[in-house]
Amino acid sequence: MRPGALVNRRIRLLLAALALAFGGIFLRAVWIQGVRAAALSRLASSQHRETVALPASRGTIYDRSGSPLAIGEQATTVYADPKQVVDARAAALAAGRTLGIDPATLEPKLADKRLGFVYVRRKANPVAAAALEKKGVPGLGFYPEERRTYPQGRIAAQVLGFAGVDNRGLAGTELQLDRALTGKAGSETIVKDPLGRAIDVVKETAPREGRAVRLTLDHTIQSNAEQVLRQTVASSGAKDATAIVLDPHSGAILAMAVEPGYDANRFASVPVALQANRAVVDTYEPGSTFKLVTVAGALSEGIVHPGTTFTLPYSIHVADRVIHDAEQRGTEQMSVAQILSRSSNVGAITLAEMLRKDRLLRWIGRFGFGRRTGVDFPGESAGILPSYWSGSTIGNVPIGQGIAVTPIQMASAYAAIANRGVWVRPHLVARGRAVRRRVVSRTVAAQLSTMLRGVVTSGTGTSAAIPGYRVAGKTGTAQKPDAHGGYSNRYVASFVGFVPASRPRLVVLVTVDEPKTAIWGGAIAAPAFQQIASFDLQYLEVPPDAPQSTPPAGY
Amino acid sequence: MVEYVGTRHSRARSRRAARAAEPLARRLDWTLVAAVAGAVAYGLWAIAGITRHDVPGNPNYYLVRQGVYAAVGGLGLVGALLVDPSFYRRYWRALFGGTVGLMALVILAGAATRGSKRWIDLGFFRFQPSEFGKLLFVLALAGFLADRARRIGEPRTTLVAVGLALVPIFLVFVQPDLGTALVYGAALAAILFVAGTPWTHIAALGAGVVVFATAVLWLLPAAGVPVLKPYQVHRLTQFMNPTSDPRGATYNITQSITTVGAGGVHGRGVAGSTQTNLDYLPEHATDFAFASLAEQRGFLGAAFLLCLYLLLVWRGLRIVTLARDHFSALVAGGIVVAFLFQVFVNVGMTMGIAPITGIPLPFVSVGGSSMIANLVAMGVLLAIYARGRERR
Repeated sequence: MRPGALVNRRIRLLLAALALAFGGIFLRAVWIQGVRAAALSRLASSQHRETVALPASRGTIYDRSGSPLAIGEQATTVYADPKQVVDARAAALAAGRTLGIDPATLEPKLADKRLGFVYVRRKANPVAAAALEKKGVPGLGFYPEERRTYPQGRIAAQVLGFAGVDNRGLAGTELQLDRALTGKAGSETIVKDPLGRAIDVVKETAPREGRAVRLTLDHTIQSNAEQVLRQTVASSGAKDATAIVLDPHSGAILAMAVEPGYDANRFASVPVALQANRAVVDTYEPGSTFKLVTVAGALSEGIVHPGTTFTLPYSIHVADRVIHDAEQRGTEQMSVAQILSRSSNVGAITLAEMLRKDRLLRWIGRFGFGRRTGVDFPGESAGILPSYWSGSTIGNVPIGQGIAVTPIQMASAYAAIANRGVWVRPHLVARGRAVRRRVVSRTVAAQLSTMLRGVVTSGTGTSAAIPGYRVAGKTGTAQKPDAHGGYSNRYVASFVGFVPASRPRLVVLVTVDEPKTAIWGGAIAAPAFQQIASFDLQYLEVPPDAPQSTPPAGY
Repeated sequence: MVEYVGTRHSRARSRRAARAAEPLARRLDWTLVAAVAGAVAYGLWAIAGITRHDVPGNPNYYLVRQGVYAAVGGLGLVGALLVDPSFYRRYWRALFGGTVGLMALVILAGAATRGSKRWIDLGFFRFQPSEFGKLLFVLALAGFLADRARRIGEPRTTLVAVGLALVPIFLVFVQPDLGTALVYGAALAAILFVAGTPWTHIAALGAGVVVFATAVLWLLPAAGVPVLKPYQVHRLTQFMNPTSDPRGATYNITQSITTVGAGGVHGRGVAGSTQTNLDYLPEHATDFAFASLAEQRGFLGAAFLLCLYLLLVWRGLRIVTLARDHFSALVAGGIVVAFLFQVFVNVGMTMGIAPITGIPLPFVSVGGSSMIANLVAMGVLLAIYARGRERR
């Protein structure tokens, strides 16, 4: 065979190999660039583009006077990429020392090479973080974040609630107003290189910053109320105490204090039960303060006048029960005003029996009990009305037993009397004119106001008297129900009233839960009311409406 | 053309003389010249786009350099064209010695880059001897086998040829430059094939290669004797399973396939080629230049380059059949197959159908040694063609 022929034959084989090689490459190119092009193009785009959120700063919460209660503070979050950490021990020591973290707990996190991201300290002090950043420890990273802080610490902690680590409101006013406070996060699309470094910003939507919110609370009034409650709790050995200061005309809540309190900045370490704003979310059996409803009903229905007198024995039979007044006494003549000022159970029940079940229930409803006031605070309780009406119920409910109300319901009911018979929805944020409705006539409101003055001048609430001012109010001393459906020997002492009675500016409610030294609302809650109200009158520069010389009677 | 009257013999002689007198220009394979010129020009255009953002402030840095290399290579091509191939045959022993010497020099004096010694740093130019060694290797082996043409059927001939070839192959392999060593192997196979080595020998060699590859890739590492570095084993085997570790061992191949696919039919253009410009595709100017080209110019742009290569290799294979003598045919076969092998392995690697090796894409990848050596090799091919036509 000629070499040439052989070469030619083998060249044909090589040509075949050539065709095969190029055929394979072409087919592969068609597959990748034709069939899979769209998917791969998306993949290519997605790996170099990243959309990151630009967080909106959270709005500040101010009090009525413009003093900040909750603010967003610049903080620096420190994180680590363990894959980039060269010396976990050294990094842990450096970070631990500057940020105040135990290096021993930090080191294993930094040494875990499987992870690409671990938090070293979320929202650390920016000064300490800057110092750490300057050390240039490989593997550590920093980015700014906003940290929610409560500059006034304990003040209004339960009302404010808190915003979580992601700056979303999780409780209290922070939760209630979250939409306004949060704003809307923006975003930016960045182009990054394979090491994740940003090269260019291609699209940016600016964040809409959260709106600032102004509360009706006044930090001075609030702080004073809290201080008074603290003293009251301490001196009476009570479990806890609640106070509300309300503007009866507008429904603005000037103070809403719950003791024991806590530093709002340390909400994470405070038991949840302590964080509840009991003025809104908790109910109590009101006791005698509830007699207002009974008397208001009887007056409004035209059954009695303030001067109508009754001959009242010490005790009264209602169905299978015997109910007596708080203080031992003989059978007496009492006017309707005296029934209220001396807080006669027998008198109130007598009025209620004249009013009867349906009208009593209607008046309970008109005063807003058994349904939420609609205060702008999350988790409000509606209170509890009797679920069934037995023969003895007419002996309980008119005197504030067998019924549960929230402090804010009770404060609003008294505010309606102070506001000449018009109930106004209580609120923490002023939004135009609050919802209002007439509960009793001006006349009845004036009559009730006069009677409530009598409570302070000559009844059970004399220690609520404030020199120079006419004070109207009512004491309450309620036995707490026990777990078995009966009553325990624990009490809620309360006082609710308004000043100056001639032109009311403030409604103040104080409830003291389980006082040990005394149980009477007049002894425990009325002095607290007096301290809170007299401070607030001075602070608000409310002119006196009574001659200074008039000594508080009935001591 | 002038016809002389005379004997057949004298007529043939006179014709040859006449042809010899013809200017070299008329004896060139102009189709091949056009294919080479087209590939070089297209490669420069491709590199201009691929490296546009590589040197900040100097978008034409690599284009200018490649242009200079292409010009130098063009001179080399002309030079090679002027040399009669039989010259190489006479001095094949010296050429072989030179090849081995060059490779040894790299080992001794080479500059290390990323753990491998492949270059000799001349200051202005990083000389990569293994690129030039390809041509020398082909010439030397072809010389040996042409001398033994009558004993081509003897196993001894094949064994000696393989033994000779293994010396430079081994020296390239330990640089380590696995890809180029494979190109040498392909050239060796082509020369043996064209030389007429019996099928039995070729089959035996093939079996040997399979056994060797199995041993190197699986058996010896399993027995605790690693021959290849782990990254080399990964690259050789994991193209078959590209999704196994997309952020680690198969990052290159994953990114490369993504890059090629992102180009689609029409390409994303120079400005839109994020894979190239943002460095997601590693080594986009050298080993993965084809993927970059495919991203910027799409299937159409990539297919055009492949057509140029196809034309070039087809003309090259034609020259094997037209060669004046056995030696020339062997040289042409070796050059063409080595070239085809490089194109196939490089392009195949970027699309995940060939293992990842650091083989440059002829006329496109940035690199002076590859550009110049390939152009000189084309010069040798053209010289063979020119002398081949003298004979007829």
